[in-house]
Amino acid sequence: MPITAEFEYEKVKTWRDALALKSAKGSAAKILAGGTDLIVLLRENHSSAQMLIDLKGLPGISGISFKNGVLTIGANVTFSDLIKSQTVKKYFPALWEASQTVASVGVRNRATVAGNICSAVPCADSAGPLLVYDAEINLLSENESRKVPIEKWFTGPKKTAMEPKEILHSIELKYPSSKTACAYLKLSRYEGEDLAQASFTVTLDCDKNYKIAFGSLAPTPRRAYKTEKFLKGKKINEETLNEACKILETEISPISDLRSSKEYRIHMAKVMLKRALEKAVSRYYKGIPHYGEGMIE
Amino acid sequence: MKLKIKYKEEKKTVQHSDFDAVGKNMNRVDGWEKITAAARYTDDLEFGPALLYAAAVESPYAFAKIKKIDISAALKIDGVLKVVTGKDFPHKFGLYMKDRYVFADDTVRFVGEQVAAVVAKTPEAALKGAAAVKVDYQELEPVLDPVKALDKKSPLVHENLKDYPHVPWFFPQAGTNIAHWRKTRKGDWEKGFKQADQILEDTYFVPRYAHCAIEPHSVIGLYDESGRLTMWTSSQSPFTQRNVFVGALEPFGIKHKDIRVISTYIGGGFGGKAGVSMEILGAALAVSFKGRPIKLLWNRAQEFYNTYQRQGVVTKIKMGATKEGKITALEYTLYWDAGAYVEYGANVVNAAGLSASGPYRIDNLKIDSMCIYTNLPPGGPYRGFGYSEFLFGLESHMDRMAEKLKIDPVKFRKINAISEGDTLPYGAHMNPTGIQEAISKVEKEIKWGVKEKSKDKNKEIGKSLVCFWKSPAMPPNASSSAFIKFNEDGSLNILVSGMEIGQGLLTVMAQIASEVLKVPVSKIRVETPDTDRNPYEWQTVGSHVTWGCGNAVKRAALDAREKIFDLVQRVYCIDKSDLYLESESVRCKTKPNFRLKFSDFVINGIQAEDHTFKGGPIMGVGMFMPEFASAIGDPETGQGGHPNVHYTTGAAGLVLEIDKESGKMKIKKAVLAVDCGKAINPDLVKGQIVGGMLQGFATVLYEDMRFDEKGRLINPNFSDYKIPTAKDMPEKVVPIIVETPQPDGPYGARGVGEHTMIPCAPLVANAVYDALKVRIKSMPVTKEKVALALFSK
Amino acid sequence: MKTHDIEFKLNGEKIKASVKPNRSLLDFLRNEMGIKSPKVGCDRGDCGACTVLMNGKTVRSCLVLAVEADGCEIVTTEGANKNKLTQKLQKKFHEKNAFQCGFCAPGVILSATELLTENPKAGREEIKEAISGNLCRCTGYEPIVDAIEKTAKK
Repeated sequence: MPITAEFEYEKVKTWRDALALKSAKGSAAKILAGGTDLIVLLRENHSSAQMLIDLKGLPGISGISFKNGVLTIGANVTFSDLIKSQTVKKYFPALWEASQTVASVGVRNRATVAGNICSAVPCADSAGPLLVYDAEINLLSENESRKVPIEKWFTGPKKTAMEPKEILHSIELKYPSSKTACAYLKLSRYEGEDLAQASFTVTLDCDKNYKIAFGSLAPTPRRAYKTEKFLKGKKINEETLNEACKILETEISPISDLRSSKEYRIHMAKVMLKRALEKAVSRYYKGIPHYGEGMIE
Repeated sequence: MKLKIKYKEEKKTVQHSDFDAVGKNMNRVDGWEKITAAARYTDDLEFGPALLYAAAVESPYAFAKIKKIDISAALKIDGVLKVVTGKDFPHKFGLYMKDRYVFADDTVRFVGEQVAAVVAKTPEAALKGAAAVKVDYQELEPVLDPVKALDKKSPLVHENLKDYPHVPWFFPQAGTNIAHWRKTRKGDWEKGFKQADQILEDTYFVPRYAHCAIEPHSVIGLYDESGRLTMWTSSQSPFTQRNVFVGALEPFGIKHKDIRVISTYIGGGFGGKAGVSMEILGAALAVSFKGRPIKLLWNRAQEFYNTYQRQGVVTKIKMGATKEGKITALEYTLYWDAGAYVEYGANVVNAAGLSASGPYRIDNLKIDSMCIYTNLPPGGPYRGFGYSEFLFGLESHMDRMAEKLKIDPVKFRKINAISEGDTLPYGAHMNPTGIQEAISKVEKEIKWGVKEKSKDKNKEIGKSLVCFWKSPAMPPNASSSAFIKFNEDGSLNILVSGMEIGQGLLTVMAQIASEVLKVPVSKIRVETPDTDRNPYEWQTVGSHVTWGCGNAVKRAALDAREKIFDLVQRVYCIDKSDLYLESESVRCKTKPNFRLKFSDFVINGIQAEDHTFKGGPIMGVGMFMPEFASAIGDPETGQGGHPNVHYTTGAAGLVLEIDKESGKMKIKKAVLAVDCGKAINPDLVKGQIVGGMLQGFATVLYEDMRFDEKGRLINPNFSDYKIPTAKDMPEKVVPIIVETPQPDGPYGARGVGEHTMIPCAPLVANAVYDALKVRIKSMPVTKEKVALALFSK
Repeated sequence: MKTHDIEFKLNGEKIKASVKPNRSLLDFLRNEMGIKSPKVGCDRGDCGACTVLMNGKTVRSCLVLAVEADGCEIVTTEGANKNKLTQKLQKKFHEKNAFQCGFCAPGVILSATELLTENPKAGREEIKEAISGNLCRCTGYEPIVDAIEKTAKK
């Protein structure tokens, strides 16, 4: 089916041009990186874009760097790049795990992490890891640059804190100062490519600080702060898990949709929280199961 | 005149072996074409710069009157050439019942129904034009539930049902939404229930499903200046399409000889490309625009909502059995959600109504299979043709009855399984069947009776075994034919119109001809058909072409062989009863040294001593029609006819691991034993089993079509209609071939294509119950349903 | 819409073309280049029938704009037919009767080529992962996975 929407296309070579263009066009210009979401929207006439600004010719945003404990992911970095990165695998395994559950190879070869969080659907696979790693998003506009913490990024379903004149430059993640273990779990209708019915990302450290993020269980991907607070300093056992689940239930607000009923989401949220925590604990103390194993529930 | 001709002498002694080609695991004759992307599908064909493009204007309502169609804005769009509406094509069409119009007449009956179409110079302009056509509707209350549709107060989807022409074996109920009611009655079921020690009654639900061939439907039509209509279609049924096109276009003076349908390779069929669906638009548009080829492609969403869908059904079963395990009576009522038009789907209902007893000997039987109009997309053929649907309830019920009787469910099936000669639901007698052998082999393969424990404490393992049968559903006079012609080098072309839809038909036909004519498969070319050049085939559906088309090919090969023998007898004065074929040559039993290579005579004849030539190009002709079949029985009981040519039977088994918390299911082992009579190519039969089972498991584990309260399909894409990926394969599939020859099949063969899919739903439902004692009576049996059922237990 | 001049390599051949921004790479290849191996299956990246190699990596050509191909190297199955590894795969696909209707085959072949180029010793699970974006409705995948596994180095 041809794309009937009409738009201009600019492949910008400099940031100055990119930002000037974005500033002039505002929300009428859409950023094109991997295009795996955007082209679908255009073809199905769900986007009113009058111009696409292709970032793939811009310098400095196609790589992953790790300096002074900060991982910087450029706006053009794809999920395949993340999966192939030994740095990501070693230091940010939850992001590495989540990346592998994104669509399939041919999509991951194009789809970017930046695009994933700009689309900002409640089921965004990368959101959970970015939330637990306290990511910061670097935004540029003609006159300023600013950092937005990931927890303030998602402002509603498909809505973000980014202004129409801004372009996402990169995403930064700080390597946790102490030893951590983590787990990413995605509930999908089957093992193959799917949008998450629910997802959980958890980390824990030596002081029993837990970080928990969930997807598809509220209008935006979120941290479960109350559950984290309850668990802080506690050992993971059946009793604490049961209590944690009760608190978690007050933090989620799932809906029924095509992919899952609300009831199943609530039921599985509790199952997945337990399993994710148990898995992270096992990884922390025993080093098993290895990262990349059993991510799909 | 006696002809004396020299022939090459051969010292090799004559050897009589079994089969040379039949029963062998040969590689596909279309393999390289597909693997190198040389294979062309309909949308791959080039038509040059004159090609025009069409797009459909579709109804947003499930049921509405069309008040006005305004095409003026569309015609102003750059590139738009013409807008065609229903008033241009006022004639009804249909395969078994004429209840459809090319474009909606004054009423739309499902969301997505075509109201008009726009012809333009580019696909973009066509789409823009379609969006610019303004249609005023008066919305009506839609009929969305087949059971509620039976209510006297329900609106009627078709007011004029009584006037619709249909085949004589349909029984529409005028003034209702019942388009066809197949009643099958045998014995005395009331008495049967009285004899029963246990009676079990329940209702099962099966939703609608989509075929999801990866290639969407496509059609190109060219009505040339001479009045000849050529259609390139992605079709399982080029001849039936031609016939249906004539039905719709005859008022324009277009007859069979004026229409030529050319079918390329098709990217999957599964029944979805049988009959005529969107192709009618291509034909109509071509006729309305003489001289230019017009292409219409369905997009994926249209593929879901405006081709045939597998019908949904609500089934009510009442079964009675004695404590010894003998089924004494079965009452089975099926309420089919057949959709807005039933021109094909009503025959699915018919097929189920004739066979819903399953492969069991049941003396007292009452089946009511009701084809009910609803304002949902038209139902139609889908691999299994109604059998998957009724088997879900029936085979679930078999396990439940066995439990009530405290009899092992496999034993219960063995006690009741049908055997050769048993009286079928409609009175005729059962063909040879290896069902008992199939059950035993599956039972052994899944270690039935041995409880398996999962290594994971959160998981349980369940097992199940179910039986299946299916007959081709076709008109009694559905026929096949074949031409075989030799080439100079002794190679062959086989011309058939059975379609290669992925199942391997071309290869199997080559193997059959190879067996008779002793020409290696590598020297045989078989291609997809062109109705002007290839001989007739009714349709490639119902798992019947190996049998029907295979018989025609075998007869054509025998005919060619006879012509060869006649020629050799005439030229060499050898009694033809002494002749036989071997290694591309004619040999003689009484003259071991006689050897005449095909390449020496099959085109150019045999040269006599006087230097003249005898013979000429060797060709064979074969046809096949099941002359014993009849669709006419008593309308109230179904007794008296012989509507089904034979049944293929078998059994399937499952070892399923289930996560007790998430409901996630993993198929550890799936087994299917099918009695194919004779596997012409065992590897291709196994391919059908492995592929068909995954398609079947998908319908029970992941897929279903979801409609909202307005009758709109809300998951018309692969993002939310989940067909399995490579990561969703069973851990192991064990195909088992049983061979109880079909007396009238080529080398004893009968079809297997659909049978590999139909037992899968009850397999999963029964294995879930075996593991967790949770009974899911509504398909699909998703992990969500299993988890929530367990959770609320 | 302004058209854009693009230059890229298609199956080893240098191509210069002028394209509108809203032309997908898939439509461009099929309708303007006569390259028919990438198929239209779903037009939203779900089915993988339109897979092509872009700078050696599989992409969904329905989700790539033709204008984005500027400066890239595009290989379709027509081009991969000359690749030794692809030929080895094709031989095994043939032996295993790996495809039925064949519509998904070009996409699967490119996905398998990408996998074994990057990971010549890929195991069964990696193979399933690599082709899981290529939907096949006919085969149940088993013969496809078997064929790729047989081609992979032990």
